[in-house]
Amino acid sequence: MTDLENKALLPAGLRDILPPEAAFEAGIREMLAGTYASHGYDRVKPPLVEFEEGLTSGAGEAVSADTFRLMDPVSQRMMGVRADMTTQVARIAATRLGDLSRPLRLSYTGEVLRIRGTQLRPERQFAQVGAELIGTASAAADIEIIAIAVESLRAIGVPGLSVDLTIPPLVPALMDSMDLSEEDYHALRDAVDRKDVGAVRESGQNLADELSRLMAGTGKADHALDVLSGLALPSAPAGELDRLKAVVEGLGQRIPALDITVDPVENRGFEYHTGIGFTFFARGERGEIGAGGRYVILPNGNEDENGEGEPATGFTLFIDTILRVIPEADLPPRVFVPVGSDDDAVAALRNDGWVTVAALEDANDANDAAVEARRQGCSHIWKAGKPALIE
Amino acid sequence: MIAANENLRLAVPRGRILEELLPLMAEAGIEPEPAFYDKQERKLEFASNIPNLSILRVRSFDIATFVAFGVAQIGIAGRDVLMEFDFPEVYAPLDLGIGACRMVVAQSRELHEKDNPRRWSHVRVATKYPEITRRHFAARGVQAECVKLNGAMEIAPSLGLCRRIVDLVSTGSTLEANGLEEVEEIAKITSRLVVNRAAMKTRPEEIHGWIDRFEEARDAA
Repeated sequence: MTDLENKALLPAGLRDILPPEAAFEAGIREMLAGTYASHGYDRVKPPLVEFEEGLTSGAGEAVSADTFRLMDPVSQRMMGVRADMTTQVARIAATRLGDLSRPLRLSYTGEVLRIRGTQLRPERQFAQVGAELIGTASAAADIEIIAIAVESLRAIGVPGLSVDLTIPPLVPALMDSMDLSEEDYHALRDAVDRKDVGAVRESGQNLADELSRLMAGTGKADHALDVLSGLALPSAPAGELDRLKAVVEGLGQRIPALDITVDPVENRGFEYHTGIGFTFFARGERGEIGAGGRYVILPNGNEDENGEGEPATGFTLFIDTILRVIPEADLPPRVFVPVGSDDDAVAALRNDGWVTVAALEDANDANDAAVEARRQGCSHIWKAGKPALIE
Repeated sequence: MIAANENLRLAVPRGRILEELLPLMAEAGIEPEPAFYDKQERKLEFASNIPNLSILRVRSFDIATFVAFGVAQIGIAGRDVLMEFDFPEVYAPLDLGIGACRMVVAQSRELHEKDNPRRWSHVRVATKYPEITRRHFAARGVQAECVKLNGAMEIAPSLGLCRRIVDLVSTGSTLEANGLEEVEEIAKITSRLVVNRAAMKTRPEEIHGWIDRFEEARDAA
């Protein structure tokens, strides 16, 4: 048999999630979404596949190269399988929910598919949960969106949580003032992304000093803000530093024990963000727990040609990474129920959180019943009107 | 918060670079346990005089991978390795200035005399660095077919495996001895102090502390 004939083999980056992990995963997703719902974020559910332009325009451009495409035989148009859900929610906000009053709060959960996994996340299909706060550019919105993400992550027990804040437009704005060939521009951007101070000093021209000091400014929020306020950044986008300060302060007041770091030059993955961006980390976990930031939702071309777009901020959490860091939950106790037991009493047991597994056949004797109960993964057996621990 | 004495791993390369690195480590206040210096020693992880710091001694090519996956939070890696793997999870905040050499394209002397690199559209190249080679040639509009070798690149042209190689040179004497001539330089190489991205974000004070110590050690050298 060649490996192609083995039905168990799945394409690279795709996997079956089995018990008990599948139930655990579903529970985590609902708990996260529940926190957002409790803050007034209404759930939306976009389709898995839609026309390519909708998925890859605006912020969707970032995942365009990772989007699976297929030809729709019906409309003869190219469709894409979503590689990220933010673009879909933005589309909904701009079109079908365009007439709802702002700020608009939406949340979502679903699977996404990507052509390539990354080194750290080889999975090509994974689950996202997220929330978007649309129609306001205020610092209060930046603070709220980060705060509810933190609240939801703490509620499911993510240990050592920290949030890293960045100003994605800062480095591009600084570099726009330099006279660089396209090749040198990308080389310098790469060096900044890698925090390669040596290379930046070599090719950073008149900004070498400014950029190096910005890189040295990464770290704990108070240290970073000190460094940043000591820097003269004439070419920095106006207001972004003040906004960062306001967000750090606001978060500090709202969630006093939160670890906040600042990395003013962090830019990877934030190519389409227009204001404060953030990444969630858990100490000891190599991957990101989630990320998000401020962006602009472009108006639907057909309706408003001259529109400026709508400010929005939001985040996406990565369920696979979250599952790696949170402690495994205890499974509910499982009781084996022999044939002929009192249905109402057993139903009451389920209401109390028990899992009941019904026998389909009569057992010969108590010993047989216990063996069968074990085979069904039960710790208890229903005996004399109550669950009894199996010896 | 997890206690500050959480373990920290430093990944260092075996071999040539290590000789240059040891004085810097000593200057930075890191003294490995005696077994570390024993070339016959089979174990890979060593304790040091700093209670929460252990040292991984691995192949230089693997260091970027160990740091990218967060197995080691900090490491010493050549720019060649960083360029080849191009991990977004690895920061290279400090050039240690050791292990200096250059990465070049070279070809046999006879070929070199009649060849015009402008005319290339396709080249076959023996190299340990297929990614860098492909990227380098693609940027100048040439398709590179790479034959991956792990050593002895210099002999490939004379054996007829291919006509060109991409490799590191320090003095150029190996090229010379094998009848090869340098065509162009791809990059200047030195070793960098590298840091895992998530570690930098979640343990900023500790990591910055080590970057500063190595920077002082480098400047003192």
